[in-house]
Amino acid sequence: MEALRVEGLSKNFGGIQVLQDVTFTLKPGERWAIIGPNGAGKTTLMNVLSGVLAPSRGRIELWGRDVTRLSTYERLRLGLARSFQLNSLFPRLTVEENILLALRGKMSARGQFLQPTAKGDPLSLQMQELLNSVGLWGKRSSFVRELSYGEQRQMEIAMALASKPRILMLDEPSAGLSGAESLRTVDMIRSVTEGSTLLFSAHDMDVVFDLADQIMVLFFGKIAAQGTCAEIQCDPMVKEIYLGGD
Amino acid sequence: MERMLLNLLNGVSFGALLFLLASGLSLVLGLMGILNLAHGALFLFGAYVGISVTQNGGHFILAGLVGGAAGAAIGLAMERGFLRHLHGRILEQVLISFGFIYVLTNVASWIWGTVTQIVDAPISGAIVLGDLFFPKYRLGLIAIGLVIALGLYLFDKTRVGAMVRAGMDNAEMAGALGVNVKFISSMVFCLGAFIAGFAGIIGVPIFGAYPEIALDALNLALIVVVVGGTGSIPGALIASLLLGVLDSFGKALLPGIASYTIYIALIIILVFRPSGIMGRSA
Amino acid sequence: MRMKTGSTPVLTRSRYRISAGLLPYVVAGLVFTVLPPLLPDYFHSLLIKVLIFSVFAMSLDLIMGYTGLPSLGHAAYFGLAGYIAAILLLKCGIDSFWVVLLASLLGATLLAAAFGPLALRVKKIYFLLVTLALGQLLFYVAWYWRSMTGGDDGLVGRFTPNLGIPGVKWSPLLFYYFVFIFFAFTFFVLRWVTRLPFGLSLKGLEQNELRMRCLGYNTWAIKYVVFLIGAMFAGMAGVLFVYFNGFAVPKNLGLHFSGMVMFMVILGGDATLWGSVVGAAVILYLEYISSLYFPERWPLVFGAAFILTAMFMKGGLAPYLAKFWKWTVGKWRH
Repeated sequence: MEALRVEGLSKNFGGIQVLQDVTFTLKPGERWAIIGPNGAGKTTLMNVLSGVLAPSRGRIELWGRDVTRLSTYERLRLGLARSFQLNSLFPRLTVEENILLALRGKMSARGQFLQPTAKGDPLSLQMQELLNSVGLWGKRSSFVRELSYGEQRQMEIAMALASKPRILMLDEPSAGLSGAESLRTVDMIRSVTEGSTLLFSAHDMDVVFDLADQIMVLFFGKIAAQGTCAEIQCDPMVKEIYLGGD
Repeated sequence: MERMLLNLLNGVSFGALLFLLASGLSLVLGLMGILNLAHGALFLFGAYVGISVTQNGGHFILAGLVGGAAGAAIGLAMERGFLRHLHGRILEQVLISFGFIYVLTNVASWIWGTVTQIVDAPISGAIVLGDLFFPKYRLGLIAIGLVIALGLYLFDKTRVGAMVRAGMDNAEMAGALGVNVKFISSMVFCLGAFIAGFAGIIGVPIFGAYPEIALDALNLALIVVVVGGTGSIPGALIASLLLGVLDSFGKALLPGIASYTIYIALIIILVFRPSGIMGRSA
Repeated sequence: MRMKTGSTPVLTRSRYRISAGLLPYVVAGLVFTVLPPLLPDYFHSLLIKVLIFSVFAMSLDLIMGYTGLPSLGHAAYFGLAGYIAAILLLKCGIDSFWVVLLASLLGATLLAAAFGPLALRVKKIYFLLVTLALGQLLFYVAWYWRSMTGGDDGLVGRFTPNLGIPGVKWSPLLFYYFVFIFFAFTFFVLRWVTRLPFGLSLKGLEQNELRMRCLGYNTWAIKYVVFLIGAMFAGMAGVLFVYFNGFAVPKNLGLHFSGMVMFMVILGGDATLWGSVVGAAVILYLEYISSLYFPERWPLVFGAAFILTAMFMKGGLAPYLAKFWKWTVGKWRH
């Protein structure tokens, strides 16, 4: 069964066609990068896939199930989680509280709302593990808005990982990070998403080749090419569009 | 047949008054994003000031202009002294306008007392329809309403309208492009306040002037704004006429629910089309 | 509009504690229970009003302070519950306090169930606008439906709560303790609710609703539930108010009360329940003082205070009071 299947997805805002007839399939365990120039529609695609925006036309299936009409939170519960290009955290809550919210997101109503978390609880241990993996355990009582940009970015990814999603979508995960921070983030993503399905957008080709097996090229809202890293690297049209044609 | 026509004219004239009342609110809300809850209080001040003018021998038209000016002056003080300092903080601005309702209403009671005041219409006489009469003044209201509607429509289409919208969206950017955001904001707010004050005195022959009118007027204006679509002047016009006519026919044909027709319309809009007749979806 | 406090890394602690331990509760408990009999009689009315409006304000604090939904029509639930109580007592001959209370709470909650979906469709400022309009709608109905509500005269009677307990002789002081039980109940229940994971999800919702949805939360349902809870407690206050006053009038549903309770929440400092209590006490006390010395000018004072608070004190009094408390306790300990 396919993890994610997208058919004829289109999105327009008034007269502007941002996505046009996007069709692709993600099999479980595949790791795809979406690349394309700025404005190509990468973020809009993620917004439509996660349910933040409704498509103008087309169909989205998660694990064989039609989710085109489902809301964002329902998609999360089916295993689709995402992170944002611009950090979308809870600034006036602590790191701890942010992660708790993220961890509880997939739980039942009882777990989400009623069961308090005490020190030895499984949830508390998961939180510890997650914060350790991004190196923020020591800052768990700081307010998120007090963290540096790089730390906030780590948080951003950690929040998406918290629900142990079957498909993880990351919008430009290394955006705004320095070289070293970027490497660290990419390492973390790679180890944590071992074996799960990954879809991410990026500009940095090092990050792309590090994390992805397959690449999709988006150009003015259309898929210009898709295939393995090797195939895309050799594709002349891609070179033209994206890499400057040399 | 004449009865129908009379009801219709009554409705349209009431609608014109509603439009005069609501357009200022809609203008400020649409162009500046500020919900000025003190709008009714400006209406009240315009009414009282205008009445004072007529009582001192001034012509009704002068009263109208002075009433409007009073509204604009208070609006200027509100905007410059208070609202401006909270640019972008919409909720706080609304709260401030709420506080102003009390301040303005109480000051007005202090100055003019709490007894209802009324002034006769400046144009007496009526046009005859069969054996029914339609006051000429109400006809005048329709005319004034149309003039204001046209004026606002043109204003919105001008550069100034565009500049205000730009300033609202992104003050810094607009400023960098040479738009004097502060000045224009004051100007728009004062324009809305002027219309409110003007409407106040114009409406006195119909409503009278009494302290609670600050809230009654606000209620009506809010309903027009919600039904018409927040921030849309054409919407406010359509809604005003619609509500005016509904109210008029409601009172004539279904006396039981006469006073409720406007609120029924509100509920219907909220249930079926919350963004209002002409509003964009929230 | 938040208090900045440091925090110790224990998962179940609330962020807004002002000191460790039970001391503030002991002090408050003493003030509320032991002090009143020592005060002159005319003060009892004021205290009762403070408790009733504290319940009202806390209910709005949950909706507005924690969840960020600025409702300017909250008096609709307060007033409706009061009217239902008055109608049952005066027109249906129902005497039992418990039946009246239950019916009124149900009525208030049902109204919120109906109004909620209408108001929750729109965001922030339009939410305020719609809740305002709906509140005014109810005011208008109460004003014009003379046969049911008595119109602007309202429904008047002498109501004493019939608790089904024999031998109860009502006095203002006794009524005060009666109301205090409801006040304490409301305080502790709402405090418990805000300390549950539910409370954290409210704060998360207020700060970043989109992220909450992307994390798996049904944010509309959360807002709806909070709205219902808030309306229910507002209704509770409304019933007590009618028993206290002996009348139900359109003003109870109107913009003044909606604005006043919002002022109490903001003045106190949103997202602190005890802050709302302080806000209620301050405003009602000011009103009392004004009624003695300058009754005609109270609206002016009220409006000016509202404006000044909105301009300069958006965090409310709570942060200052909390600092003051810490300082006092600190001094006392050394």
